[in-house]
Amino acid sequence: MIRTEALTRRFGDRLAVDGLTLEVREGEILGLLGPNGAGKTTTVRMLACLLAPTSGRAWVGGHEVGREASAIRSTVGILTESPGFYKRLSLERNLRYFADLYGVSSPRAAARRYLERLGLWDRRTDAVATLSKGLRQRLALARALVHEPKVLFLDEPTAGLDPESARDVRRFIGELTSERRTVLLCTHNLPEAEELCDRIAVLRTRLIALDRPAALKERMSGGRVLVELGNPRPEFATGLHLPFVQRASLEGNTLTVEGANPDRDNPTLVRRLVEMGAEIRSVTRDERTLEDVYLSLMGRDDAAG
Amino acid sequence: MRRVRVLIAKEWEELRKIKMVIYGALFLPLLMGGLAGFMVWQGQGLPPEAQAALFNTALMYFLILPVMIPVTLAVYSIVGEKEQGTLEPLLATPLTDWEIFAGKALVAVLPSLVLTWGVFLLFLIAAHVILGGIPAGVLSVPWLLSIFVLSPLLAVFGVLVSMLVSSRTSDPRAAYQFSGLAVVPSLIPLIAYSIQMTAVNLLLVILEGGILVVLNGALLYLVVKLFRREEILTRWK
Ligand SMILES: Nc1ncnc2c1ncn2[C@@H]1O[C@H](COP(=O)(O)OP(=O)(O)O)[C@@H](O)[C@H]1O
Ligand SMILES: [Mg+2]
Repeated sequence: MIRTEALTRRFGDRLAVDGLTLEVREGEILGLLGPNGAGKTTTVRMLACLLAPTSGRAWVGGHEVGREASAIRSTVGILTESPGFYKRLSLERNLRYFADLYGVSSPRAAARRYLERLGLWDRRTDAVATLSKGLRQRLALARALVHEPKVLFLDEPTAGLDPESARDVRRFIGELTSERRTVLLCTHNLPEAEELCDRIAVLRTRLIALDRPAALKERMSGGRVLVELGNPRPEFATGLHLPFVQRASLEGNTLTVEGANPDRDNPTLVRRLVEMGAEIRSVTRDERTLEDVYLSLMGRDDAAG
Repeated sequence: MRRVRVLIAKEWEELRKIKMVIYGALFLPLLMGGLAGFMVWQGQGLPPEAQAALFNTALMYFLILPVMIPVTLAVYSIVGEKEQGTLEPLLATPLTDWEIFAGKALVAVLPSLVLTWGVFLLFLIAAHVILGGIPAGVLSVPWLLSIFVLSPLLAVFGVLVSMLVSSRTSDPRAAYQFSGLAVVPSLIPLIAYSIQMTAVNLLLVILEGGILVVLNGALLYLVVKLFRREEILTRWK
C-alpha cells in the first residue's frame, strides 16, 4: 500500500531522511519510531506529497509520489503534527469544510458520522476555540478520516495529551485496524508503538531496524536482574565469572547483572552470589523493554555514525 | 473551480467573525463614501466647473478603497491560517497550488470590488439627490476607466502585496501595516491632481493602468512561486 525506495530528503546540507526503503502492507499499522529530528514528519510529508523527495521514489495506494500528487492526496488522510482548526468556526463547519475540499459527496453526512464516532456530536455547534486539547485531537482524527481514506498518516497522535486523552486516542487508533485501513504511525513513544503497531520501523535519518515488536525485543534478548544486597562488596560485581553475564555493576546496595535470562539463569546467579558470601535481600527481574532495545539500537547507530 | 468556491465560502464565514476585518472592510468604505458625499455636499450652489473639481477629488477615495479593503481581508485570511496552524491540513487536501493561490486572492479581491462599486453607486445616487444631477463631464471616459479598470487593478495590487507580506510574517498587525504601503499607487492620481499637473485625464489613467499591469505581473510571478506547497511548508515564517 505504501512503498518507498531509497527515499531521501535534504534541507540544505542537512540530511533529514536518508535512503529510506520500506513497505507498509494493506491493513497494516506500521510504527515509525524515532527521537525528535529523526525524520518522521519529513517522511510523512513526502508521502503525502507536501514535500518533494530530494531523491528516491515512493508509491502510495499504487500512485507514484511526485507524479500523481492529487490522486495521492485524495487517497490519504493525515493527522499532522500540530493539527490546527479554524477556531472561530464550529466543529461541524470545520469538518464539513475539509470533507468538501476532499470532494466527499455528502460533506454534511460525513461530518456527522465522524463527529458521532468520536463523541463530539454534542459539541458540534461550539467554536473549536472552546475545545480542550484532547477533544481537539479527536476532531483532528475525525478530519483525517472524514473522506474515508485508505491510507492514514498519524504524526505523533498522542504527543502533548494528558494520559486519559492519550488513551482515548490510542483506543480509537486500535479500532481502525478492523477497517482495513493502512496506517503509518509516527511516534517517539515506545509503549504506544508496541501497543498499536503490527511492525515497527526504527528511524534515525536512516532506517535502523524494521520488525514486529516482539521480534525486535527478541533480537536484543537478554534481561537484567537487580539484586539488592545486605553486604555490598565490589567483588560481587567483578568476581561473578558466569558465562551468561555480560556485565555486572554495583551501585549502592544494588547489583545490576546484565545479560541474564531470569527464568533460566536466576537460580545459578543466586547460588553463585551466596557462595561468594552475599546476603541477598531481594532479586528483581528487570526485563528488557522495547525501550532498552530502542536505546541500544540508537546507541549502536551513534557508534556507527 | 468547485474547490475554490468551497475555500472562499469558508473564508468569508470566518472573516465575518473577526472584528478587525469588519472594521477594515466596512468602516473604511463607509468613511470614504461619507467623505466623498460630504465633498459633493459642499458643492451645492457652486458653479459646475467647481463641482466637477470636487468630483475629481472625490474620485480619489474610490481609488483608495479597492486597495485598502483587500489588504485587511488578505492579511487575515493568510496570517490566520498560519496562526491557527491550518496550513498543513489545508495543503494535504487535493487543492492544487494554483487553487490555493486563486482562492486566497479572490477572497479579498471580490468583496473589495463589490464594496467599492456599491459605495460608488450610493455616492452617485447621493450626488444626484444633493445636486439635482451629476455635472456634465464628470462621468467621462477617464472617470469610468478609473472606476472600472483602475479599481480592479488596484485591488489585485493590494492583494498581491498583502499576500507577499503575509507570507513573511505571522504578526497580523505588522503584515497589515506593511501591506498598507500598497496604497501608494492609488495616491498617484491624487498627487498629480494636487500639484496641479492635471485633473483626471485619459493619459494619466492609461499611464497608471500601465504601471499597475507591470507591477501586478511582477508580483503575480513572485506570489505564485511563494504559494507552492513546498515553499509554504518550508519557507514561510
Ligand atoms: N523545513 C525545514 N527546513 C530545514 N530543516 C528541516 C525542515 N524540516 C525538518 N528539518 C530537519 O529535518 C530533520 C528531521 O525533522 P523531522 O522530519 O521534523 O523529524 P521528526 O518528525 O522525526 O521529529 C531535523 O533535523 C529537522 O531539523
Ligand atoms: Mg515530527
